[in-house]
Amino acid sequence: MMKKICRYLSPLLIVALVLGSLPVAAAPVTPGSDLITTQDVLNAERSQGDRERIQAILARDDVQEQLVAQGVDPAEVEARVAALSDAEAAQMADQLEQLPAGASVVGALFAVFVILLVTDILGLTNVFPFTR
Amino acid sequence: MMACLDRQRASAPLQNARLAGVLALALMMLVMTGCASTPRLAESTQQSLPRQTLLEDVPFHGQRDYQCGPASLAMVLNAAGVPVTVDTLIPQVFLPGREGSVQPEMLGTVRRQGRIPFRIDGTLDALLTEIDAGHPVVVMQNLSLPAWPVWHYAVAIGFDRDEKTLTLHSGMEPERLESFKRFDATWARSDRWAFIALPPGELPATGDGRDALDAIADFERAQGARAALPAWEALVARHPDLAMGHFALGNARHAAGDAAGALEAFADAVRADPELAVAWLNLGLLQRDQGSPGEARAALERAAALPGPWQEQAREVLADLTRRTG
Repeated sequence: MMKKICRYLSPLLIVALVLGSLPVAAAPVTPGSDLITTQDVLNAERSQGDRERIQAILARDDVQEQLVAQGVDPAEVEARVAALSDAEAAQMADQLEQLPAGASVVGALFAVFVILLVTDILGLTNVFPFTR
Repeated sequence: MMACLDRQRASAPLQNARLAGVLALALMMLVMTGCASTPRLAESTQQSLPRQTLLEDVPFHGQRDYQCGPASLAMVLNAAGVPVTVDTLIPQVFLPGREGSVQPEMLGTVRRQGRIPFRIDGTLDALLTEIDAGHPVVVMQNLSLPAWPVWHYAVAIGFDRDEKTLTLHSGMEPERLESFKRFDATWARSDRWAFIALPPGELPATGDGRDALDAIADFERAQGARAALPAWEALVARHPDLAMGHFALGNARHAAGDAAGALEAFADAVRADPELAVAWLNLGLLQRDQGSPGEARAALERAAALPGPWQEQAREVLADLTRRTG
């Protein structure tokens, strides 16, 4: 129950917090205070406006939460998220559960075992080393 | 009686269903073997590549439990000159809840370790060309079928075109040989995902300048302009026509405190592409800050004349400059 409430509450809280800081994030750059950065230009080329940039910031917070939920050491989380590109952070935020996680273990049911054995012998898969 | 009738009536469609099932199975087998034919190399690749290659100095780290991700990263990072251990990498990339490592974080961890991850094209041509250039390649495979995936990272370090085999450091096995056919079948299930990790200043042997530019910009975002500077220098040396490369180099030089070098790079950018408004804008801004308002005005006028997302800002800066210098 508590978990359910949290699941609905936390996105709302995030949105509320971000909307609060929105005027700052979307404030126009003072003319000529500094050079235009390479990343700004690339974002503009990908037609990323202020809204998308705010979503990118949101995505990073979201990914941080998800990583902690997945058992990552909270001390590591910030540095891990900082190393992601905007596109990667968005991908992690949207579909962490569906992303393939390289691990190389098979939860082997017998039927699955037989099918994979056959496909291994056919050279379509590579689960069991002894089929070569 | 009724039951018998029912059964008789049911038997005809049942037989049809069985026949259809057998046909479907046969068809599926055909399709699957069709997909898994030995991949062919392009003519140009065949001519440029040697018959076989093995990168012998890529160290091997055996994976423990589910940690093929950290192990694969340690191998390519060691090869790129970062003396990092698997144990250091596990808390940086492994996801305990998923008992594995996901692709975005594999790339992110390379950046954290000060190396640039470049995704390469999902073709055997690109894979073998990178290996031949001395770059070990991290590949993602699904060793099993899509319905019961066994995701796995391995490091491709060599090939033999006569035997049609690829050499990989994989799992617990150093220099494992896999046939091109079997490797490609397992690689195709990850959409042929692969990347190399290079020190700033080295570029992939495949792909175009634009892909490299995006990869370096993502690295710069995480590690700062000073760390990315050698990569930008290498990019403009390889692709002198890429105006955005000169522009990015100018920004990195400016961030590193080299104003004269930055001016030069912005000038190169507008020479490569006179339509690149933002390069005129940065050139003008920097010339103004360096105390040459005349030159700055000329550059800003070019920027303000070009339609696009930077036009408004260029006009404001130009108006501001005119007000101040009278």
